[in-house]
Amino acid sequence: MSTFPLTHDDSRIWRDAPAYAGLALFLALAMAPTLAAMAVDPRQFQGESIWLKPLKFHIALAIYLGTLAFYARWMPEAARATRFWRWHVRAVVFAVLAEAVWIGGAASVGTASHFNTALPWSAIYPVMGLLATVLTSAALVMGLAIRKADLPAGFRLSLVTGLVLTFVLTLVTAGTMSGFPSHHIGVPMTGAVVPILGWSREVGDLRVAHFFATHALHALPLVGWLMADRTAPVWAAAVLYTALVTGLFAQALAGFPVI
Amino acid sequence: MTPQMLFSLSGPVALLGWLALALSPLAPRVAQVVAGSVVPLVLAVAYAGLILAFWSGAEGGFGSLADVALLFGNPWLLLAGWLHYLCFDLFVGAWIVRRARAEGVAHGFVLPCLALTFLFGPVGYLAFGALRLIQSQHKG
Repeated sequence: MSTFPLTHDDSRIWRDAPAYAGLALFLALAMAPTLAAMAVDPRQFQGESIWLKPLKFHIALAIYLGTLAFYARWMPEAARATRFWRWHVRAVVFAVLAEAVWIGGAASVGTASHFNTALPWSAIYPVMGLLATVLTSAALVMGLAIRKADLPAGFRLSLVTGLVLTFVLTLVTAGTMSGFPSHHIGVPMTGAVVPILGWSREVGDLRVAHFFATHALHALPLVGWLMADRTAPVWAAAVLYTALVTGLFAQALAGFPVI
Repeated sequence: MTPQMLFSLSGPVALLGWLALALSPLAPRVAQVVAGSVVPLVLAVAYAGLILAFWSGAEGGFGSLADVALLFGNPWLLLAGWLHYLCFDLFVGAWIVRRARAEGVAHGFVLPCLALTFLFGPVGYLAFGALRLIQSQHKG
Protein backbone atom coordinates (compact mmCIF):
# COMPACT_ATOMS: atom_id res chain seq x y z
CA MET A 1 0.00 0.00 0.00
CA SER A 2 1.22 3.48 -0.77
CA THR A 3 -0.52 6.32 1.01
CA PHE A 4 -0.69 9.68 -0.66
CA PRO A 5 1.38 12.22 1.30
CA LEU A 6 -0.74 14.99 2.79
CA THR A 7 0.80 18.42 3.09
CA HIS A 8 0.86 19.73 6.63
CA ASP A 9 0.38 23.34 5.64
CA ASP A 10 -2.94 24.08 7.34
CA SER A 11 -2.98 27.70 6.23
CA ARG A 12 -3.51 26.44 2.67
CA ILE A 13 -7.27 26.25 3.21
CA TRP A 14 -7.33 30.05 3.51
CA ARG A 15 -5.64 30.47 0.14
CA ASP A 16 -7.35 27.63 -1.72
CA ALA A 17 -10.91 28.21 -0.55
CA PRO A 18 -11.07 31.36 1.60
CA ALA A 19 -14.86 31.58 1.47
CA TYR A 20 -15.46 27.97 2.55
CA ALA A 21 -12.77 28.14 5.24
CA GLY A 22 -14.14 31.43 6.56
CA LEU A 23 -17.71 30.19 6.56
CA ALA A 24 -16.71 26.96 8.33
CA LEU A 25 -15.02 29.01 11.06
CA PHE A 26 -17.98 31.36 11.28
CA LEU A 27 -20.42 28.46 11.74
CA ALA A 28 -18.18 27.00 14.41
CA LEU A 29 -17.98 30.35 16.25
CA ALA A 30 -21.74 30.84 16.00
CA MET A 31 -22.08 27.71 18.13
CA ALA A 32 -21.03 29.80 21.18
CA PRO A 33 -24.21 31.95 21.37
CA THR A 34 -26.28 28.90 20.35
CA LEU A 35 -24.87 26.97 23.31
CA ALA A 36 -25.54 29.99 25.53
CA ALA A 37 -29.15 30.05 24.33
CA MET A 38 -29.41 26.31 24.97
CA ALA A 39 -28.20 26.83 28.54
CA VAL A 40 -30.84 29.44 29.43
CA ASP A 41 -33.79 28.37 27.23
CA PRO A 42 -36.04 25.73 28.81
CA ARG A 43 -38.16 25.30 25.66
CA GLN A 44 -38.25 21.85 24.12
CA PHE A 45 -39.27 20.55 20.72
CA GLN A 46 -40.16 16.88 20.34
CA GLY A 47 -38.49 16.10 23.67
CA GLU A 48 -35.17 17.84 23.20
CA SER A 49 -33.87 21.39 23.50
CA ILE A 50 -34.99 23.52 20.59
CA TRP A 51 -31.35 24.59 20.13
CA LEU A 52 -30.04 21.06 19.56
CA LYS A 53 -30.99 21.04 15.90
CA PRO A 54 -29.28 24.35 15.01
CA LEU A 55 -26.24 23.08 16.89
CA LYS A 56 -26.19 19.83 14.87
CA PHE A 57 -26.49 21.77 11.60
CA HIS A 58 -23.68 24.11 12.59
CA ILE A 59 -21.40 21.16 13.35
CA ALA A 60 -22.37 19.31 10.17
CA LEU A 61 -22.04 22.33 7.88
CA ALA A 62 -18.74 23.37 9.46
CA ILE A 63 -17.33 19.87 8.85
CA TYR A 64 -18.68 19.84 5.29
CA LEU A 65 -17.25 23.25 4.39
CA GLY A 66 -14.00 22.59 6.24
CA THR A 67 -13.59 19.39 4.25
CA LEU A 68 -14.27 21.17 0.96
CA ALA A 69 -11.78 23.91 1.90
CA PHE A 70 -9.21 21.19 2.59
CA TYR A 71 -9.91 19.31 -0.67
CA ALA A 72 -9.75 22.53 -2.72
CA ARG A 73 -5.93 22.15 -2.90
CA TRP A 74 -6.43 19.16 -5.21
CA MET A 75 -8.46 21.11 -7.75
CA PRO A 76 -6.48 22.27 -10.78
CA GLU A 77 -5.49 25.93 -10.31
CA ALA A 78 -7.33 26.81 -13.48
CA ALA A 79 -10.63 25.47 -12.15
CA ARG A 80 -10.49 27.82 -9.17
CA ALA A 81 -9.73 30.77 -11.42
CA THR A 82 -12.91 30.53 -13.48
CA ARG A 83 -15.80 32.92 -13.24
CA PHE A 84 -18.17 29.96 -12.82
CA TRP A 85 -16.29 28.78 -9.71
CA ARG A 86 -16.35 32.22 -8.10
CA TRP A 87 -20.10 32.65 -8.64
CA HIS A 88 -20.83 29.11 -7.59
CA VAL A 89 -18.93 29.66 -4.31
CA ARG A 90 -20.99 32.80 -3.68
CA ALA A 91 -24.22 30.88 -4.30
CA VAL A 92 -23.11 28.11 -1.94
CA VAL A 93 -22.16 30.58 0.80
CA PHE A 94 -25.52 32.31 0.44
CA ALA A 95 -27.36 28.97 0.57
CA VAL A 96 -25.51 27.88 3.72
CA LEU A 97 -26.16 31.19 5.50
CA ALA A 98 -29.83 31.15 4.51
CA GLU A 99 -30.14 27.58 5.77
CA ALA A 100 -28.50 28.48 9.10
CA VAL A 101 -30.71 31.54 9.57
CA TRP A 102 -33.82 29.54 8.68
CA ILE A 103 -33.06 26.71 11.11
CA GLY A 104 -31.93 29.09 13.87
CA GLY A 105 -34.95 31.32 13.28
CA ALA A 106 -37.38 28.40 13.53
CA ALA A 107 -35.67 27.30 16.74
CA SER A 108 -35.87 30.78 18.27
CA VAL A 109 -39.66 30.86 17.81
CA GLY A 110 -39.88 27.26 19.00
CA THR A 111 -41.24 25.68 15.82
CA ALA A 112 -40.13 23.09 13.26
CA SER A 113 -37.91 24.17 10.40
CA HIS A 114 -38.33 20.98 8.37
CA PHE A 115 -41.71 19.28 7.84
CA ASN A 116 -43.57 22.37 9.03
CA THR A 117 -47.04 22.53 7.45
CA ALA A 118 -48.03 25.89 8.98
CA LEU A 119 -47.58 29.23 7.23
CA PRO A 120 -45.23 30.96 6.68
CA TRP A 121 -42.81 28.06 7.20
CA SER A 122 -44.56 25.75 4.74
CA ALA A 123 -44.19 28.42 2.05
CA ILE A 124 -40.42 28.72 2.67
CA TYR A 125 -39.80 24.96 2.81
CA PRO A 126 -39.51 24.40 -0.99
CA VAL A 127 -37.14 27.37 -1.27
CA MET A 128 -34.97 25.85 1.42
CA GLY A 129 -34.99 22.58 -0.52
CA LEU A 130 -33.62 24.44 -3.52
CA LEU A 131 -30.96 26.12 -1.39
CA ALA A 132 -30.05 22.76 0.17
CA THR A 133 -29.48 21.45 -3.36
CA VAL A 134 -27.25 24.43 -4.10
CA LEU A 135 -25.14 23.86 -1.01
CA THR A 136 -24.82 20.14 -1.76
CA SER A 137 -23.76 20.96 -5.32
CA ALA A 138 -20.54 22.37 -3.86
CA ALA A 139 -19.34 18.77 -3.56
CA LEU A 140 -20.39 17.94 -7.13
CA VAL A 141 -18.64 20.93 -8.68
CA MET A 142 -15.44 20.26 -6.77
CA GLY A 143 -15.57 16.55 -7.60
CA LEU A 144 -15.95 17.19 -11.32
CA ALA A 145 -13.09 19.71 -11.27
CA ILE A 146 -10.74 17.20 -9.61
CA ARG A 147 -11.29 14.72 -12.50
CA LYS A 148 -8.57 16.57 -14.42
CA ALA A 149 -6.19 17.01 -11.49
CA ASP A 150 -2.59 15.80 -11.63
CA LEU A 151 -2.84 13.21 -8.84
CA PRO A 152 -2.26 9.45 -8.43
CA ALA A 153 -5.13 7.71 -10.25
CA GLY A 154 -6.61 5.91 -7.25
CA PHE A 155 -6.50 8.91 -4.95
CA ARG A 156 -7.98 11.16 -7.63
CA LEU A 157 -10.78 8.70 -8.36
CA SER A 158 -11.60 8.43 -4.65
CA LEU A 159 -11.96 12.21 -4.35
CA VAL A 160 -14.12 12.39 -7.48
CA THR A 161 -16.39 9.47 -6.52
CA GLY A 162 -16.62 10.60 -2.89
CA LEU A 163 -17.61 14.15 -3.79
CA VAL A 164 -19.97 13.19 -6.63
CA LEU A 165 -21.61 10.46 -4.54
CA THR A 166 -22.10 12.91 -1.66
CA PHE A 167 -24.12 15.05 -4.04
CA VAL A 168 -26.08 12.26 -5.74
CA LEU A 169 -26.82 10.15 -2.67
CA THR A 170 -27.68 13.16 -0.50
CA LEU A 171 -29.99 14.50 -3.17
CA VAL A 172 -31.84 11.15 -3.39
CA THR A 173 -32.04 10.44 0.36
CA ALA A 174 -32.67 13.96 1.66
CA GLY A 175 -34.88 14.80 -1.32
CA THR A 176 -37.07 11.75 -0.69
CA MET A 177 -37.12 12.47 3.03
CA SER A 178 -38.42 15.99 2.42
CA GLY A 179 -41.41 14.49 0.60
CA PHE A 180 -42.49 12.56 3.70
CA PRO A 181 -44.31 14.21 6.60
CA SER A 182 -41.46 13.31 9.03
CA HIS A 183 -37.97 11.80 9.07
CA HIS A 184 -39.53 8.88 10.96
CA ILE A 185 -41.24 6.02 9.15
CA GLY A 186 -43.58 4.88 11.90
CA VAL A 187 -44.51 6.44 15.21
CA PRO A 188 -41.92 6.18 18.03
CA MET A 189 -43.51 5.19 21.35
CA THR A 190 -40.68 5.18 23.92
CA GLY A 191 -38.38 7.72 22.26
CA ALA A 192 -35.33 5.43 22.37
CA VAL A 193 -32.56 6.86 20.19
CA VAL A 194 -28.94 6.26 19.24
CA PRO A 195 -26.76 8.45 21.53
CA ILE A 196 -25.54 11.79 20.11
CA LEU A 197 -26.84 11.08 16.59
CA GLY A 198 -30.44 10.89 17.80
CA TRP A 199 -31.64 8.26 15.31
CA SER A 200 -34.71 6.32 16.38
CA ARG A 201 -34.13 2.79 17.67
CA GLU A 202 -37.81 1.89 17.29
CA VAL A 203 -38.89 2.96 13.82
CA GLY A 204 -37.34 3.74 10.44
CA ASP A 205 -35.26 6.92 10.49
CA LEU A 206 -34.43 8.40 7.08
CA ARG A 207 -31.68 10.57 8.55
CA VAL A 208 -29.39 7.52 8.83
CA ALA A 209 -29.09 7.19 5.05
CA HIS A 210 -28.76 10.98 4.70
CA PHE A 211 -25.85 10.90 7.17
CA PHE A 212 -23.95 8.17 5.33
CA ALA A 213 -24.80 9.66 1.93
CA THR A 214 -23.33 13.01 2.92
CA HIS A 215 -20.21 11.44 4.43
CA ALA A 216 -19.24 9.71 1.18
CA LEU A 217 -16.76 12.56 0.72
CA HIS A 218 -14.93 11.34 3.83
CA ALA A 219 -15.25 7.58 3.45
CA LEU A 220 -14.12 7.10 -0.17
CA PRO A 221 -11.08 9.41 -0.14
CA LEU A 222 -9.88 7.43 2.88
CA VAL A 223 -9.74 4.33 0.66
CA GLY A 224 -7.99 6.22 -2.15
CA TRP A 225 -5.53 7.73 0.29
CA LEU A 226 -4.56 4.29 1.59
CA MET A 227 -4.23 2.82 -1.93
CA ALA A 228 -3.33 5.86 -3.96
CA ASP A 229 -2.17 4.20 -7.18
CA ARG A 230 -4.92 1.65 -7.71
CA THR A 231 -8.36 2.41 -9.04
CA ALA A 232 -9.98 -1.03 -8.64
CA PRO A 233 -10.29 -0.84 -4.80
CA VAL A 234 -11.82 2.64 -5.11
CA TRP A 235 -14.40 1.47 -7.63
CA ALA A 236 -15.23 -1.47 -5.35
CA ALA A 237 -15.53 0.86 -2.34
CA ALA A 238 -17.77 3.24 -4.28
CA VAL A 239 -20.11 0.39 -5.26
CA LEU A 240 -20.14 -1.00 -1.72
CA TYR A 241 -20.75 2.41 -0.19
CA THR A 242 -23.64 3.10 -2.56
CA ALA A 243 -25.06 -0.29 -1.63
CA LEU A 244 -24.69 0.53 2.08
CA VAL A 245 -26.55 3.83 1.72
CA THR A 246 -29.23 2.17 -0.42
CA GLY A 247 -29.60 -0.60 2.15
CA LEU A 248 -29.89 1.82 5.07
CA PHE A 249 -32.39 3.85 3.09
CA ALA A 250 -34.50 0.79 2.23
CA GLN A 251 -34.32 -0.36 5.86
CA ALA A 252 -35.68 2.96 7.10
CA LEU A 253 -38.33 3.16 4.38
CA ALA A 254 -39.51 -0.30 5.45
CA GLY A 255 -39.91 1.10 8.97
CA PHE A 256 -37.00 -0.71 10.61
CA PRO A 257 -34.58 1.09 12.96
CA VAL A 258 -30.88 1.06 12.09
CA ILE A 259 -29.95 -0.93 15.22
CA MET B 1 -30.85 28.74 35.89
CA THR B 2 -32.51 32.03 36.82
CA PRO B 3 -31.88 35.59 35.58
CA GLN B 4 -30.74 36.49 39.11
CA MET B 5 -28.05 33.77 39.03
CA LEU B 6 -26.63 35.06 35.76
CA PHE B 7 -26.85 38.63 37.01
CA SER B 8 -24.81 37.70 40.10
CA LEU B 9 -22.27 36.02 37.85
CA SER B 10 -21.99 38.92 35.40
CA GLY B 11 -20.89 41.48 38.02
CA PRO B 12 -17.58 39.83 38.99
CA VAL B 13 -16.84 39.07 35.32
CA ALA B 14 -17.20 42.75 34.38
CA LEU B 15 -15.27 43.84 37.49
CA LEU B 16 -12.35 41.72 36.37
CA GLY B 17 -12.17 43.85 33.22
CA TRP B 18 -12.41 47.13 35.16
CA LEU B 19 -9.71 45.97 37.55
CA ALA B 20 -7.43 45.24 34.59
CA LEU B 21 -8.06 48.77 33.26
CA ALA B 22 -7.41 50.41 36.65
CA LEU B 23 -4.09 48.55 36.88
CA SER B 24 -3.32 48.93 33.16
CA PRO B 25 -0.05 50.91 33.62
CA LEU B 26 1.41 47.74 35.14
CA ALA B 27 0.48 45.54 32.17
CA PRO B 28 -1.03 47.54 29.29
CA ARG B 29 -1.21 44.64 26.84
CA VAL B 30 -2.83 42.25 29.29
CA ALA B 31 -5.32 44.95 30.28
CA GLN B 32 -6.34 45.44 26.64
CA VAL B 33 -6.72 41.72 26.00
CA VAL B 34 -8.82 41.26 29.15
CA ALA B 35 -10.91 44.45 29.11
CA GLY B 36 -10.89 45.18 25.37
CA SER B 37 -11.50 41.66 24.06
CA VAL B 38 -12.02 38.69 26.35
CA VAL B 39 -14.52 40.03 28.89
CA PRO B 40 -16.64 42.01 26.39
CA LEU B 41 -16.71 38.96 24.09
CA VAL B 42 -17.81 36.66 26.92
CA LEU B 43 -20.56 39.14 27.81
CA ALA B 44 -21.50 39.41 24.12
CA VAL B 45 -21.90 35.62 23.82
CA ALA B 46 -24.14 35.59 26.89
CA TYR B 47 -26.14 38.51 25.50
CA ALA B 48 -26.54 36.86 22.10
CA GLY B 49 -27.69 33.63 23.78
CA LEU B 50 -30.34 35.52 25.77
CA ILE B 51 -31.60 37.30 22.67
CA LEU B 52 -31.78 34.04 20.70
CA ALA B 53 -33.67 32.38 23.53
CA PHE B 54 -36.09 35.10 24.65
CA TRP B 55 -36.49 37.78 22.00
CA SER B 56 -39.11 35.97 19.91
CA GLY B 57 -41.38 35.35 22.89
CA ALA B 58 -41.13 38.87 24.28
CA GLU B 59 -43.78 41.57 24.34
CA GLY B 60 -43.00 45.17 23.50
CA GLY B 61 -40.22 46.49 21.29
CA PHE B 62 -38.31 49.64 20.39
CA GLY B 63 -41.26 51.57 18.97
CA SER B 64 -42.24 53.63 22.02
CA LEU B 65 -41.08 54.15 25.58
CA ALA B 66 -44.04 52.08 26.76
CA ASP B 67 -42.91 49.25 24.45
CA VAL B 68 -39.38 49.41 25.84
CA ALA B 69 -40.78 49.28 29.39
CA LEU B 70 -42.84 46.24 28.38
CA LEU B 71 -39.74 44.60 26.91
CA PHE B 72 -37.77 45.12 30.10
CA GLY B 73 -40.67 43.80 32.12
CA ASN B 74 -39.33 40.38 31.07
CA PRO B 75 -36.53 39.56 33.57
CA TRP B 76 -34.51 37.66 30.94
CA LEU B 77 -34.48 40.64 28.59
CA LEU B 78 -33.84 42.98 31.50
CA LEU B 79 -30.77 40.85 32.20
CA ALA B 80 -29.82 41.05 28.51
CA GLY B 81 -30.13 44.85 28.68
CA TRP B 82 -27.88 44.85 31.75
CA LEU B 83 -25.25 42.71 29.98
CA HIS B 84 -25.44 45.16 27.09
CA TYR B 85 -24.44 47.95 29.51
CA LEU B 86 -21.64 45.91 31.08
CA CYS B 87 -20.26 44.86 27.68
CA PHE B 88 -20.26 48.25 25.97
CA ASP B 89 -19.23 50.28 29.03
CA LEU B 90 -16.16 48.10 29.49
CA PHE B 91 -15.39 48.31 25.78
CA VAL B 92 -15.50 52.11 26.00
CA GLY B 93 -13.33 51.94 29.13
CA ALA B 94 -10.70 49.97 27.23
CA TRP B 95 -10.87 52.50 24.40
CA ILE B 96 -10.36 55.37 26.87
CA VAL B 97 -7.23 53.66 28.24
CA ARG B 98 -5.89 53.10 24.70
CA ARG B 99 -6.50 56.71 23.64
CA ALA B 100 -5.05 58.06 26.89
CA ARG B 101 -1.84 56.04 26.41
CA ALA B 102 -1.52 57.12 22.78
CA GLU B 103 -2.04 60.79 23.69
CA GLY B 104 0.09 60.73 26.84
CA VAL B 105 -2.71 61.47 29.32
CA ALA B 106 -1.60 60.67 32.87
CA HIS B 107 -3.29 57.63 34.39
CA GLY B 108 -4.29 59.68 37.44
CA PHE B 109 -6.62 61.70 35.17
CA VAL B 110 -7.88 58.58 33.45
CA LEU B 111 -8.95 56.80 36.65
CA PRO B 112 -11.87 59.15 37.45
CA CYS B 113 -13.06 58.84 33.83
CA LEU B 114 -12.98 55.06 34.18
CA ALA B 115 -14.89 55.22 37.47
CA LEU B 116 -17.56 57.38 35.86
CA THR B 117 -17.77 55.10 32.81
CA PHE B 118 -18.12 52.11 35.10
CA LEU B 119 -20.98 53.71 37.05
CA PHE B 120 -22.69 55.98 34.53
CA GLY B 121 -21.31 55.00 31.10
CA PRO B 122 -21.77 58.12 28.96
CA VAL B 123 -20.79 60.47 31.82
CA GLY B 124 -17.32 58.91 31.86
CA TYR B 125 -17.10 59.23 28.09
CA LEU B 126 -18.08 62.88 28.42
CA ALA B 127 -15.47 63.45 31.14
CA PHE B 128 -12.75 61.89 29.00
CA GLY B 129 -13.84 64.07 26.05
CA ALA B 130 -13.45 67.16 28.27
CA LEU B 131 -10.08 65.89 29.47
CA ARG B 132 -8.81 65.47 25.90
CA LEU B 133 -10.00 68.94 24.97
CA ILE B 134 -8.22 70.52 27.92
CA GLN B 135 -5.06 68.50 27.23
CA SER B 136 -5.02 69.62 23.59
CA GLN B 137 -5.33 73.30 24.70
CA HIS B 138 -2.37 72.87 27.05
CA LYS B 139 -0.24 71.36 24.32
CA GLY B 140 -1.26 73.92 21.70
